[in-house]
Amino acid sequence: MSQKSHLGQLSEHVREDETYYLNMGPQHPSMHGVLRLLLHLQGETILECKPIIGYAHRAHEKMAEFRNYVMFLPNTSRVDYLSGMISNIAYCQAIEKLCSIDVPERAEVIRVIACELNRIQSHLLWFGTFLLDLGGITPFLYCFDDREEILGILDRVTGSRLTYSYGRFGGVTLDVDDVFLQQATAFVKRLRKRFPMYESLVADNVIFRERCDGVGVITKEAAAKYHVTGPSLRAAGVAYDVRKAEPYGGYDRFDFEVPTRTAGDCLARFEVRMAEMEQSCRLVEQAIAKLPEGPFGPPKLIKKLKPPKGEFYFAVETARGSSGVYIVSDGSDTPVKLKLRTPSFSNLSSMPEILAGTEVADTIAIVGSIDVVLPEIDR
Amino acid sequence: MSDAPSTETSQPNPQGLGALTLESAEADYGATGFHHRHLAAPESITRIANHFLAEGYVLEFVTAEDRRFIQETKGYEDETPAMRVAYTFNRIASPDRHLVLVDLPPEIPGAELPSIASIYPAADWHEREAYDMYGVRFTGHPNLERILLPEDADFHALLKDFGRPDAEVQDAGEHTNGVRASDATAKGGASTDGGTTP
Repeated sequence: MSQKSHLGQLSEHVREDETYYLNMGPQHPSMHGVLRLLLHLQGETILECKPIIGYAHRAHEKMAEFRNYVMFLPNTSRVDYLSGMISNIAYCQAIEKLCSIDVPERAEVIRVIACELNRIQSHLLWFGTFLLDLGGITPFLYCFDDREEILGILDRVTGSRLTYSYGRFGGVTLDVDDVFLQQATAFVKRLRKRFPMYESLVADNVIFRERCDGVGVITKEAAAKYHVTGPSLRAAGVAYDVRKAEPYGGYDRFDFEVPTRTAGDCLARFEVRMAEMEQSCRLVEQAIAKLPEGPFGPPKLIKKLKPPKGEFYFAVETARGSSGVYIVSDGSDTPVKLKLRTPSFSNLSSMPEILAGTEVADTIAIVGSIDVVLPEIDR
Repeated sequence: MSDAPSTETSQPNPQGLGALTLESAEADYGATGFHHRHLAAPESITRIANHFLAEGYVLEFVTAEDRRFIQETKGYEDETPAMRVAYTFNRIASPDRHLVLVDLPPEIPGAELPSIASIYPAADWHEREAYDMYGVRFTGHPNLERILLPEDADFHALLKDFGRPDAEVQDAGEHTNGVRASDATAKGGASTDGGTTP
C-alpha cells in the first residue's frame, strides 16, 4: 500500500516508521461476511482504511450469461441472502416488466407480505449481530427468537428458510392459506410487544449510546458521493426509498412512512432500522386485510421468454438499500449481460472516507451499522 | 492528474447534455427503466459526468459489456464490434434515470477511456470492477486494481471468450442453458483447454 493514501497525504506530525498496518478480517468474529479491512494505523487512529473484497465472489453475473432467465431464479436469493425473498421477487418483477407479464392482484399482495416479513427478519438479524459486535450478547438471542417465527412462517408456505425461490414469472409458486395469515398476524402482535423491551434494554443502554452516539457520521453529501442508499442514507436525512420513489409491486396501494433521522451516526442508523420494522409491520397488517381472492400465479407456467432487445434496469428497496438488475437482452431467452447493482457495494465504498481519522475501536460499530452483506458485494 | 473534483467544469453545460453526446433520446421508462438513453464519445465522458454532478444527479453504476463478437449474434450482423461502457445517472428527488453508453475499440487490452472517479467517488469501485471483469482501462483512476478476482489473476472473467461456452448447463427439469451454436464455434479457441487460460 502506498505511503500517500489517495485520500490525502500523511500529516507532518506522523512519521512513516511510527505507523503500522493491521488486517481486520477476513477472519474476524465481528467482521461481517468475509470482509478484509487493511488498516493503516498510528496508535489507535486510522490513517487509511482499504476494504479488500472478493473473498465471496461466486460469479453470479457470469452464471447469468450461461443460463436462461428461468434458470437464474435460484441464484437471485443467494446474492443478498438476508433479503433473499425481496431479491428473488425483485428478479421476477424485473422480468415481468421486461417481458410485459401480468401479475394477479392476489400474488402481488402475497409478495408484499412475504417481502416485508423478510425485511423485518433482516433488520432483526442486523440488530442482534450489531449488538453482539458491540459486546451485548443477550439481545442476539431474543431477536433470533423473533426471527425464527418468521422463518417458520415462510418455511411453511415456501419450503425454504433463507434462500427462497418463491417467485415465479407472473406470481408466486404456491398459494398462502389462512394458517399463514393467522401466523403472520400473531407475529406482528408479538413483535410489537417486544419493541418496548428492545427500546429500554438496548436503545437506552448507556454503553450502547456511548458507542453509537456521534460515531461514524455519514452526511448526506458524503452519501451522495458514493450513492449510499437504504437506512444509511435515511439516517442522514434523505427520505429516499425506492418503494416510494419508483413504486413497484403494488406498494403504492398501502400506507407507510419512510423513517429518517438527521444525525447520520450509528445511533441514527439503528433508530431508522427499528422504525422501519414498525413500518413493515404496518404493511403486513394492511396487506393481510386487503388480500383478495384470485389466482396466485400465471394461468400457464411461463417457461419461454421473449424479451425485447436492448438495455433494461429495475430496482427495488431491499433491507440494505436500492438493489437493481441491469439486463442487456438480444431478444433471446438468455441475457447477453446481467449486472446486479447491490446497495452494500456502494455503501461499503464510502467506508475509506468515513473511517479515516477515526479510532480503530469504533470500526466495528461503524462498519456494523451500515449493514453490509458481503455476498451481495462480491456476487 | 488532480484528485480533487474538477470544480472549474462542474457547471451544467450551457447548451445542455445533448451538446456533449453523440446521440440522445428519450427512453420508455415503463418498458426499460430508463428515462433517457445517450451514446457518447470516450473523450466527452468527464464533461458529461461534470454536467450531471452540477445538476445534482448520483451515479448508480458503471459497467462494461463485451460486444467484440456481436456480429455473430442473430439480428446483430450489422452492428459494429466494440467494448461498451455503460453509466447510469439518476436523481434522488424525483427519478430521472439516464443511461450513457460509450463504445470503445474492440480490443482487450486497448479499450480505455478517462476515469470519472475524481468527479464521482462512487465510480472508483465500479470502474475497478469493470476493469477487473472486462479489462477496460480507466485512465487517471487513482488506484486501478482488481477488486473481486485475485490480484494475480491473468484473465478478465466476464469477457465472452473466457470460460467454457461449449459446456452445457442442465438442471433436473427440462431446462437447458442458453448455449448458442455461435458461442461454441466462433469464440477464440481459448475454451478448448477448459477455459483456464484467457
